[in-house]
Amino acid sequence: MTTGGPPLVEVRGLAKTYGNIRALRGVGVSFRRGEVHGLIGANGAGKSTLIRCLAGLEQPDGGEVLLGGEPRTIHDPAAAAKLGLAFIHQELNLVSTFTGAQNILLGSHSGGMLKPRRFGGVPHRVREAARRIGIDFDLDVPVGTLSVHQQWLVTIARALLEDRDLVAMDEPTASLDADEAATLLRVTRQLADAGVAVIFISHRLDEVTEVCDRVTAFRDGAVSLSLPKQDLTRESLVRAIVGHEVVPRSGTQADAEVPDRPVLLDIKDLTRGRAVRGASFTLYQGEMLGIAGLVGSGRTELARTIFGADRSDSGAMTMDGKAYAPKSVADAIRNGLAYVPEERRSQALFLTHSIADNLHVTRWERLRVGRWLPLIRPGAARAAAQEVCARLGVKVASSDTGKAVQTLSGGNQQKVVMGRWLVTAPKILILDEPTRGVDIGARADIYGRIREVAAKGTTVIVISSEFEELLECGRVLVMAQGRIVGQLSGADVSVPNMLNLCYA
Amino acid sequence: MLAASARFGTIGVLVLLVIVFSVASPDIFPTGQNILNILNQSATLSIVAAGLTFPLVAGQFDLSFAAVISLTGILTVGFLKRSGYPWPLAALLALSAAALIGLIIGLLVSYVRVNAIVATLGMSTVLLGVNYEYSNGTPITLDPGPFTKIARGQVLGIPAPIIITAVVLVALWLLLNFTLLGKHTQAVGANVVAARLAGVRVAKVTIIAFVICSLCAGLAGVVLAARIGSGQVTAGDGYLLSAFAAVFLGASVLRDGEFHILGTFVGVLIVTVTFNGLSILGSDSSMQFLFQGGILVAATALSSTARRVLSGALK
Repeated sequence: MTTGGPPLVEVRGLAKTYGNIRALRGVGVSFRRGEVHGLIGANGAGKSTLIRCLAGLEQPDGGEVLLGGEPRTIHDPAAAAKLGLAFIHQELNLVSTFTGAQNILLGSHSGGMLKPRRFGGVPHRVREAARRIGIDFDLDVPVGTLSVHQQWLVTIARALLEDRDLVAMDEPTASLDADEAATLLRVTRQLADAGVAVIFISHRLDEVTEVCDRVTAFRDGAVSLSLPKQDLTRESLVRAIVGHEVVPRSGTQADAEVPDRPVLLDIKDLTRGRAVRGASFTLYQGEMLGIAGLVGSGRTELARTIFGADRSDSGAMTMDGKAYAPKSVADAIRNGLAYVPEERRSQALFLTHSIADNLHVTRWERLRVGRWLPLIRPGAARAAAQEVCARLGVKVASSDTGKAVQTLSGGNQQKVVMGRWLVTAPKILILDEPTRGVDIGARADIYGRIREVAAKGTTVIVISSEFEELLECGRVLVMAQGRIVGQLSGADVSVPNMLNLCYA
Repeated sequence: MLAASARFGTIGVLVLLVIVFSVASPDIFPTGQNILNILNQSATLSIVAAGLTFPLVAGQFDLSFAAVISLTGILTVGFLKRSGYPWPLAALLALSAAALIGLIIGLLVSYVRVNAIVATLGMSTVLLGVNYEYSNGTPITLDPGPFTKIARGQVLGIPAPIIITAVVLVALWLLLNFTLLGKHTQAVGANVVAARLAGVRVAKVTIIAFVICSLCAGLAGVVLAARIGSGQVTAGDGYLLSAFAAVFLGASVLRDGEFHILGTFVGVLIVTVTFNGLSILGSDSSMQFLFQGGILVAATALSSTARRVLSGALK
């Protein structure tokens, strides 16, 4: 039911540059009332930047945004809201202790700050908005007790309460199972049928082809395809994302080359909550294995389960032929595991503590005078810290290992986190997004260090959404929706192949 | 210059207090006898505050230690007087009770995930009940004997409480800065997620921090009972604010808002010198409380302001 006249929202020649990365290079796309418009593309292709510009979170460097044919500048998120644009990001921004009705009303600014509000029960207009999108669960209980897809519905109801003209949803189905996703797709459809323009971002091509009236694909900051529903094919979408013709290949575990090495870790049907759903793979002694996957594919959760940070719900792990079921991180470390987490600042570093203290957290017991006198020798600790810094090329004056680790650059901080594990001589080192927040120059250096570690006999698993980086690996597993969906080795390890498996 | 004022601000406050009191009361305040007196007065507070430093370093909170001070005093005196135990046994039993209390709090906080403030406040109230029950609400007094001699005994002219304090402070300083346990405690306080992912046993470290705090409060309670010759329900009351004041004052000594033993000791001296100086000048206790609260806020505000100005100047 596309209407005539100017589109509700249109962008023309939109450009945005971050440093030397051109996130958007002259993008033109229009969103119409009553239309579900799908946006697809690999991580970093430009779809999020477009949304951030529309939401007033970023200002474009060039091009224009038109609302109803009139050029507009969207200064900040409040301005976007005033113009009738609603954005639902993956972090849902709900107050988990408030009820569904209270959360829906939180967005309502009608009346003043001090206007008395009924804050119990479910007011009529909330019930009305809920009914429109088929909410059949209780809105009078805290949203913390609701499931993720119910929380999404609450967020959509909140957006609807204000009569929005456009609703943008960023990967609404990423953590939903098939039934829940179906409900959400139905609601999405209803929204459009009620005359709202809907932007639907998803990595699941089957959903996109099912629900969207029009799909725009992004690649390298530009629109690579924009077609109405009737002209869409799966192949054309994959080609638009990946960038060239994809040779159909099964990509199953059976046809990939199996390294001629002893098995170190064997994982069967590992399940952890909804994030990891029956993952199976084999890790061979001394290899450098890559795990590719989009954000939310369960890569990090898989790593955390292997490292004992999370417990598995079911499945089995075998290491060196023996059953391996880590009870805690400390237990996993005793078994020769090491893990460099993806969020360096919040999950790995003690920012105000010295470089030396950050390096030695895994090995203080080795720096003691002796078992009979368990005191740490400061001289030995200093010397050991300097030695690790020198080995990893942490750029720091030899006397400065007492300086706070937060004074280092991102790349050097990452090397400190890696250095923490080198001294424990792990059998398996798992690196989760090892180059996140690291400048381009330091990335090559970090991979050089990873190769050195691997050359010394440590088996390495690298997790990354920068697929180019995984070309370093001899073998790459591709993860999607909590499962290992494919395996590439040798000459088959290529970015298009990884992307193709991600979207399979 | 600014860096120095930020890092040495709190020590500056101590020096300033000493100068002011020395000028105001040149005959009494700056004498050798009064210095020993100040150290002796600061003995129990030093032990309590040094112990409290551990849960705070680990990112936890303990409000139960004041009741533990009263408890071990009452128990020690009670075991001596009512049960006729020799004093080392009486003290040992009281200290075991203190350690057990720390253990229970640690288990509640680490495994049952009770908020530390609630757990320790609850424990504090329970102990108040125990203290009233055991002492019937009246002080249990002792006649002078071998136990009370601990507080008045001297080694080479130095009062025994000062020696006990010195031993405790050095031991805890070594423990916090030069042992695996101390380093792991600091790691847990700095970033508990990172500590867990680096293999630190967060629960164990947290429990030990509470045990150390309770044990130190217990030891202070025993020393205090020996000094005043009685065990009473209100013995520990004054320590709650003083100990927190001392530790928080100390957090701005030499380091940026990190709790540490040396800083805590400087904080204790500030608190004690203020009390000592004001009572020499003959002010009443309402004045002393005003000053104590005022100095706590002023000294921490001073050093944090200096730090902010400093970091702004560097940018």
